[in-house]
Amino acid sequence: MRWLPCLLACQALFAQGELRFNLRHEPKTLNPILAAEDASQAIAYLTGGVLIRVNRLTQELQPELAESWKVAPDNRSIVIHIRKGVRFSDGTPFTAEDVAWTLQTATDPKLHSPAGESFSAKGSPARGQVLGPDAVSIVFAAPVASLERLFDQLPILSSKSPLKEKAALGPFMVASYQPGIEVVLRRNPNYWKKDASGKQLPYLDAVRLPIQQNREIEFARFSRGEIHLINQLEPELFDRLKKANPEAAFDAGPSTDVDFLWFNQVAGASIPDYKKDWFRSRNFRNAISRAINREDLCRVVFRGRGRPAVGPFSPANKFWFNAKLTPSRFDPTAALKLLQQDGFSRKGDVLFDKQGHAVEFSVITNAGNRIRERMAVLIQQDLQAIGVKLNIVTLDFPSLIERITKTFQYESCLLGLTNVDLDPNEMMNIWMSSSEDHGWNPSQKTPATPWEAEIDNLMRAQSAAGERLKRKALFDRVQEILRQEEPYIYLAHRNSLSAVSPSLRGVHPAALFPQTYWDIEHLSLK
Amino acid sequence: MNGAPDAAKPSLSGRVARHAVSLLLTLLLGGFFGALLLRFGPGFDVDERDLDMRYSAQSREAIHRERAGDRNIFSFYVRYIERAAQGDFGVSRSLAVPVSELIATRAGVTTRLIGLGLAFGWTLGLGFAVASVRWRKPAVIVFSETFCGVALSLPAAVVALLVFLTAGPVSLVIGIAIFPRVFRFARDLFEKALDRPQVLAASARGVAERWIFLRYVVRPAWAPLIALAGVSVSIAFGAAIPVEVICDLPGLGQLAWKAALARDLPVLVSLTLIVTAITLAANAVADVALEAART
Repeated sequence: MRWLPCLLACQALFAQGELRFNLRHEPKTLNPILAAEDASQAIAYLTGGVLIRVNRLTQELQPELAESWKVAPDNRSIVIHIRKGVRFSDGTPFTAEDVAWTLQTATDPKLHSPAGESFSAKGSPARGQVLGPDAVSIVFAAPVASLERLFDQLPILSSKSPLKEKAALGPFMVASYQPGIEVVLRRNPNYWKKDASGKQLPYLDAVRLPIQQNREIEFARFSRGEIHLINQLEPELFDRLKKANPEAAFDAGPSTDVDFLWFNQVAGASIPDYKKDWFRSRNFRNAISRAINREDLCRVVFRGRGRPAVGPFSPANKFWFNAKLTPSRFDPTAALKLLQQDGFSRKGDVLFDKQGHAVEFSVITNAGNRIRERMAVLIQQDLQAIGVKLNIVTLDFPSLIERITKTFQYESCLLGLTNVDLDPNEMMNIWMSSSEDHGWNPSQKTPATPWEAEIDNLMRAQSAAGERLKRKALFDRVQEILRQEEPYIYLAHRNSLSAVSPSLRGVHPAALFPQTYWDIEHLSLK
Repeated sequence: MNGAPDAAKPSLSGRVARHAVSLLLTLLLGGFFGALLLRFGPGFDVDERDLDMRYSAQSREAIHRERAGDRNIFSFYVRYIERAAQGDFGVSRSLAVPVSELIATRAGVTTRLIGLGLAFGWTLGLGFAVASVRWRKPAVIVFSETFCGVALSLPAAVVALLVFLTAGPVSLVIGIAIFPRVFRFARDLFEKALDRPQVLAASARGVAERWIFLRYVVRPAWAPLIALAGVSVSIAFGAAIPVEVICDLPGLGQLAWKAALARDLPVLVSLTLIVTAITLAANAVADVALEAART
């Protein structure tokens, strides 16, 4: 009996409680396999159990619901042995059948599951075959490099639970959802993990997620202690927090996000032919790139909490980042020399092409994004120094998407990319010239340039190559070509900034999503 | 001589019926034109998933095919009205939640905001109007005129921002949008009433000023004030959109804004119909009450 107070004290030490942080948008679905945007993905991460997880700090794979796995030498199949004795939140046993059923559901073409899309090869979905109560084989139609990493994005659903997708294998389960107001998650009583001392995880009782879009209100709530976390804090707010409460401000270094600018090179776009000639010229693109002061962008827009970008991957992507490349150095004189090679000449403060057209173009970006709007203004000033007039056009997101994907009524575009998956295979759609996502000139029947043909070949080769280092060498070459040709002019990687309440313990902010709560089961409140 | 025009006037029930028909037609046309504007506005036929590189070309085509029914706005609207008549307002395109559920969860927030705002705006407007007419002191007149001018020239969004930054009550913004209209209208009514000969006669008879004000100024003004009440409901609804967006209130105004950004046709058409119905109903009630008061 003497131990009872000690046990109670120990339990109090791992103070249960309710973690609170904001969702910045309404979740579009609570079904974890349909999660596509940030809010839904946050809920899926907290409630969904996966077979294999990418550790957000080490970026290495770690077993979760899979006890072990073995990938076939031809990279076309994987056999997974699942953890025994695991139950869903409603008590339904977890079996190999659930894995096969989840895969079948996620790859159903009617559902449009982004997680399921990744499990396709050569247009055919992967198929699961139950080998026994604890083993399942998953077979792809073609070799898929690093296929085990795909399981990080596939939460397993129950094939038998009457609760269907609401039965959770993750640390929490959805308790309530009030559209426009909040989502509340409760601890999964059947969660399979225990800590080193044998204590049931997660430590927290609940997670409350108010839906709040306004970042100033979010920051005010954090300052008042009403919420415990903010991910992807804006640099300005981060500086304010750093001054007021330094121990609550965390800078995890460069994130995987990248901001970039590109020119419209679509042959049928309704822009004058002489402008198309500019945009297709490597010298022109390189000159614009050299005229942009990336250091200034990082200093002014990101308040020193960012770094110039050299390609699609930042140093946060530890394995795939090509460290040999250096960002384009700011040099307006060199930029003008490059332009002179294409017949451009400067008269007074205005740059003219060889046909006598003054060099002027517009850039579209998404309205309301303060960071990009500021970037556009700085780029405008930089280009003015070499006689180029840049007109900034801000559009709401649907209008912008329409212009860059359907009507191609734009000259250049400033946008950002969030790399959710670290593997370049996830970017196949961007680099293949035949793809709709090949931003500067999509859906090409045959590659428009030799270097695009080379990228196509390299991407196919790296995807088929099983050996990781070989893949890395091939993708390094892709990054080199992108650096030389600059179809996308990469500008900067913002740092992964977050606010963490000192009352929250066990937080180790990472560069990858979900930066502060990737290890949610080990977080506790004082 | 006076009997003929009175006989030509429709009865109260006739006026109610006329208002009901007019409301229904305006509602149907308003909803249709709202849908039409959205359909032919930029960015209607896109989906944010168009930029998600995980989707294959086939999946994107399938996503667009699912929404093909919304492209023909005539058939969309006919189907929508048929379903709406049975209480089904469709499913939100952007949030995948039934529209009726979205509206039900958010209506309370907007009702509270507008209700408190109207109460505040009317109390302030009438209070200032009474004070400036009854006492006619230069300080009161200058203060109320200045306050009214400032409130009139400040957009609701700016006031919302100020209220948000000072953590003030949000319904104050609606009140400030309503106040100048009520103040000016009521003050003009009261001033005209004070110039009437009955006021002079009552004053000569030695009737107390308070009673003169209540009987000869306030009493005849209540009917036109009811008409203004109808209009103020639509002003309050208009102001609720920026207020809810800026102050992050999960009401119908914020829903309308998000639906407009997401080109969410079922939500926007439903909200257009609701706001039109409330505005028209408020105006009709005011109109009928006004007529009833006159007769």
